[in-house]
Amino acid sequence: MLELRVFEQALLRQPKPGFQLLSRGQEATAVGVCTVLAASDPLLCSGRSIGIALARGVPAGGLLAELIGKDGGPNRGRAGRAHVSMPSVGLYGAHGVVAGNLSVAAGVALAQQQLQSGAVTCCLFGDGACGAGALHETLNVAALWRLPLLLACDNNGYAVSTSVRDGLGVERIVDFALPFGIPARTVDATDVDAVVDAVAEAAAAIRAGGGPRFLDLRSVRLGPHSTLTKEERPAEEVESFAQSDPLRVYENRLRQQGLLDDAAWSAMQARVQARIAQAERFAADAPWPDPAEAVLDV
Amino acid sequence: MSRLFFREALARAMAEEMARDPRVILMGQDIAEHGGSYAETRGLFERFGPSRVRNTPVAEAVTVGLAAGAAAAGLRPLAFITYLDFLMLGLDPLVNYAAKLRFKSAGQLTAPMVVKATAGAKGQGPTHAQSIEPWLMNVPGLTVLAPSTAGDAYGLLKSALRASGPVVYIDHKRLFPLGGTVPDDEQTIPIGSAALRRDGRHLTIVAHSYMSVVALEAAALLAASGIEAEVVDLRSLWPIDWQTLADSCRRTGHALFVEEGQEVCGVGAELAFGLRERVDGLRVARLGARRAPVSASPVLEAYTIPDAPRVAEAARRLLG
Repeated sequence: MLELRVFEQALLRQPKPGFQLLSRGQEATAVGVCTVLAASDPLLCSGRSIGIALARGVPAGGLLAELIGKDGGPNRGRAGRAHVSMPSVGLYGAHGVVAGNLSVAAGVALAQQQLQSGAVTCCLFGDGACGAGALHETLNVAALWRLPLLLACDNNGYAVSTSVRDGLGVERIVDFALPFGIPARTVDATDVDAVVDAVAEAAAAIRAGGGPRFLDLRSVRLGPHSTLTKEERPAEEVESFAQSDPLRVYENRLRQQGLLDDAAWSAMQARVQARIAQAERFAADAPWPDPAEAVLDV
Repeated sequence: MSRLFFREALARAMAEEMARDPRVILMGQDIAEHGGSYAETRGLFERFGPSRVRNTPVAEAVTVGLAAGAAAAGLRPLAFITYLDFLMLGLDPLVNYAAKLRFKSAGQLTAPMVVKATAGAKGQGPTHAQSIEPWLMNVPGLTVLAPSTAGDAYGLLKSALRASGPVVYIDHKRLFPLGGTVPDDEQTIPIGSAALRRDGRHLTIVAHSYMSVVALEAAALLAASGIEAEVVDLRSLWPIDWQTLADSCRRTGHALFVEEGQEVCGVGAELAFGLRERVDGLRVARLGARRAPVSASPVLEAYTIPDAPRVAEAARRLLG
C-alpha cells in the first residue's frame, strides 16, 4: 500500500502527469484483492487502475512510462491509465468505459469455465458502474451459467461528483446482486485485512464451483476524481477521510500489535522510496514511441 | 459441388469449424434446441452440446461482451445477433473493447470473435430491417463481411472463425430461402476478396449482400436493351478489394454503387471516392435507400429500397 501511495506521488511529480485517476485511499482494495488472487486468476478493472496494476505486479517503471505515454510500458504507451493491460501477470486490463469491463469479464470467466482452468476471474468496477445496465445483464448471465466470477465494487462513494446516495436507487450496493441469488457482502475496504478475508472466502467458494460472488468494497477517495477535476465534496467530509486512510489504519494496527516501530517504518519508507526513484529513472530514460507505431496492431 | 440453402451452408461451415477447433463456441438467442432464428444452427446443439451451443438471454450487450472477453481469454466465440439493428445494443463491447484490443494491448491480447448479424428489409419494420454496415466499416480494427451466395456464406464464415480479430459477418433475411452451390470438400474464401459475378463492358455495378442479387436482376434488364453491366459483389466490406474494383472500373469507365442502407456516408460514398482516386476519369453514381426509416408496410418498404428497375434506371442515367 505504501508503494502504491509513493508511486502516485512520483506520478504527480512528472512534468506532464496527464489525465490520471488516482487510487489514493483505495489501496487496501487493490492490495487485498491481489494478495488473495494469483496471476493465473484473470483481473479486470475500471479506469481507476493505477494501484491495481501495481498490486497485480506490473513493474513500477514500466507502469510509470505507460501512464505518461512513453514506450517501455507494458502496452508501449498506447493504453495509458484507462486501458493498461499485462496478460503475463493476469491483468486483462483496465477499461475507460464505465461498466464496460463487466460483460467482458463474464466472457473471460466463461473461457476459464470452458477451458476448466480452475481460475477465478475478478472484475473491479466503480460504484458509478452500478447504475448501468451492463451490471444487471452481467449478474443475470453470471448467475444463469454459474460463472467463476468475482464482481467486486471498488466503491469510493462518489461517481465524479455524484454520491452513491444520489446516484443509486438501492439502500446498499449488495442489493443489486441479491435478486439473482448471488451471495454478496459489504466490506470495510479501508481495512486491508477485511478485504483479504472477504476475497479469500469468495474466491474459495467460486473455486469450489459455487458460481459468482459479489463484494461491495467500501473505501474512500482521498483526492478529487482526477488530476484534472476540482474537489467538490464538502471540506469537512474530505478532512474526515484521514481516519479512513487504509495506509494509516494498517500502520496503526501493526504498531498496536507490536509488529512495527518508528525505525522499521522509516526503513520501509526508505526502501519503497528507493524503488520508486528507480522507476522514475526508468520512465525518464524510456523513449517516446515512434509516431509510426500509431497505426500498428490495428 | 452440392446445392444447399443459404442457411444450410452456414450450418455446415459452423459444424466443420466446431469439429476442427474445440475453442469455437456459439452464443445467441434461440440457437440451441430451436435451431436458430433462421434455422441456421439446426442440428448443432444436438451434435456439440449445451456448453458449445449456448442460448443467451435477450441481452445483446452482454452477449457481445461475453464473446469479446471469451475471445481475449482463449476461445473463438460466434455471437448471434438476430437483427443487425440490435447490434446497436452491443456496439460498446464490440467497438470500444474488441476492435481496439490488439492495438491497445500492443498486440498481447486479441479478440478472435465473430458477430453474426442479419440485416435487411423484409416486412418487419423500422428496427428489424436496417443496413448499418457503414457504421462498422468506419471502425479501425473491425473486419466486415457481407456475402450474397450460399457458397460465399460458407467459405467466408469459415474464414471469419479462423481470423485473428473481431469480424462482423452480416447476412440478409432475403438470402436465407435462396439456394446455391457449395464445394463438397472443405474450402475457405479469403477475407478481402470481391467476386466478379457478371462480365460487361459498359458499366460496373458494385453491390453486396442481397443487393448483389438485385444488381444481377438489373443487369439482365439492361442487357435486354443492349447495355452490358459488369457486376462486382464486394463480399468483404472491410478490408476492401480495391484491386478487383479498380480493374473492373478501368474496363468500363462507369461505376454504380448500390446498397440497401442509407446513401449518406454509405458504402457507395466511400467506394466512389476511393475509386475516383484510383481510376482516372471514372464516372460514378450511387443508389441507396431513400432517406426514411424502413416501414412495416410492404408498399412503403418497397418504395424506399432499391429494386432492379431502379438500379437499371440509375445505370442508364449514369451512362447518359
